[in-house]
Amino acid sequence: MKTSLRFIIFLAAILFALAPITMDGQTRGGAKPWTPPKTPWGDPDIQGLWPGQDMVGTPLERDRSLGTRAFLTDEEFSKRVAFAEEQQEIDTADLVSRNPRIARGGRFVTCEEDPNGCRNGVRIGPPNYWDERGKPTKQASLIMDPPDGRLPPLTPEAQKLQADRAAARKARPCATQPGGCHDSWEDESLWDRCITRGLVGSVLPNGYNTGNQIVQSPGYVVFRNEMIHEARVIPVDGRAHPNASIRTWMGSSRGHWEGSTLVVETTNFLPGIPVANTPTSDGLRVVERFTPVDPDTLTYQLTVEDPKTWTKPWTVSFPLKRSKDYAVYEYACHEGNYYMYNALSGARSEEKKK
Amino acid sequence: MKSTRIVACSFAVLLLSATAAWAHHAFAAEFDLNQPVKLQGKVQKMEWINPHAWIHVDVVGSDGKLVTWMVEGGSPNILLRRGFTKESLLPGTEVTVEGYRAKNGELRANGSNITFKDGKRLFLGGSNPDDPENRGKK
Repeated sequence: MKTSLRFIIFLAAILFALAPITMDGQTRGGAKPWTPPKTPWGDPDIQGLWPGQDMVGTPLERDRSLGTRAFLTDEEFSKRVAFAEEQQEIDTADLVSRNPRIARGGRFVTCEEDPNGCRNGVRIGPPNYWDERGKPTKQASLIMDPPDGRLPPLTPEAQKLQADRAAARKARPCATQPGGCHDSWEDESLWDRCITRGLVGSVLPNGYNTGNQIVQSPGYVVFRNEMIHEARVIPVDGRAHPNASIRTWMGSSRGHWEGSTLVVETTNFLPGIPVANTPTSDGLRVVERFTPVDPDTLTYQLTVEDPKTWTKPWTVSFPLKRSKDYAVYEYACHEGNYYMYNALSGARSEEKKK
Repeated sequence: MKSTRIVACSFAVLLLSATAAWAHHAFAAEFDLNQPVKLQGKVQKMEWINPHAWIHVDVVGSDGKLVTWMVEGGSPNILLRRGFTKESLLPGTEVTVEGYRAKNGELRANGSNITFKDGKRLFLGGSNPDDPENRGKK
């Protein structure tokens, strides 16, 4: 009896030690595994503000030249740091540059090098203060699996759909308009329409509104994203997903705890929600893992499975750092969405000029 | 004309692929690259609305008439994180806006460059030279 108990404790210790081995390939070797405190009802307590803004500068897909290397060498990292420093210098310059430097493909070019980017020395586009930049990280890409850090190939079915969509777009008379087709609100993306970025788009670090918050209550975890103010109320009480005919842009999420890791499975998406700029199918399934690795870090992992769209699943993984003072601001996106009016009325004006 | 269109169109595609991080708008859908504007005037008010703030600027036209232009700004959430407040751009402040006019021909523009009288950049040059409260502040 005593021996078998010891054996169980031994096994548990091994499992415990393995738990913090995460997708980012950092085993935190030697460091003691960290167990978060419990909520009064006994669940691991991972509540707090977990903005993704540090990761804004880390690309979704890895540069092909890096192959299966998930982390940059010191030399490669120093280039990323230099790029960020130059961006910072441009962003915070007191005076307007008559020949602005513009980031293109990982480097900066001037108006002379990119005449389409400027007119008379004035940059085409908004000023730099519109964007948040993140921090340079050694992580080569957000995608950590497949091992090359790139999206897997589309299925032949999805490739055909993509080609058909492109051909249909090209065949429309508006396709030759500068700025593309804006015949109706349906030509605008769900994001432009202030509806949603979808589950994946809401959590992947982007140019702004990267705030995330976790709130727990007995039987539920709420994961709130600042972008388009999404708040997923995730039951963690073992209940099943609703009937497959009930579908939403954010899908149906069900969670459970594996040790201190919150695992959330989301299904029942409306077909068409874009993930990594690709419309997905009714077979989309997303599995997220929130693993606390120290008091101020969650390893966030998100696996996308859509056998009708990608030939294999792919996984994004990155650390979310706890913030004590990040404010998740209101984002009443419909309130001032003049873009919809400007784009649609702009296209009507273009038509009249013909 | 056709070739201009094709160039502009391919540019728009480039723009879309290269700058997905721009809030969420397709610039070339909203503004006309062939209508650059330079406006000088006084701030009437600033709307702190999502997804983009809009600055209303009173401008005296070449005919002597006063008109009000709306200039698109970044998300209020970004502005707040950068430390700007409702007091950062007060009515009456003189500004110069260089940008592109809305395609619909209305008095709306994007503000690629927005500067104070002394040439410093709005939001970054930071000091509003017309406002003694802000003088010298970053």
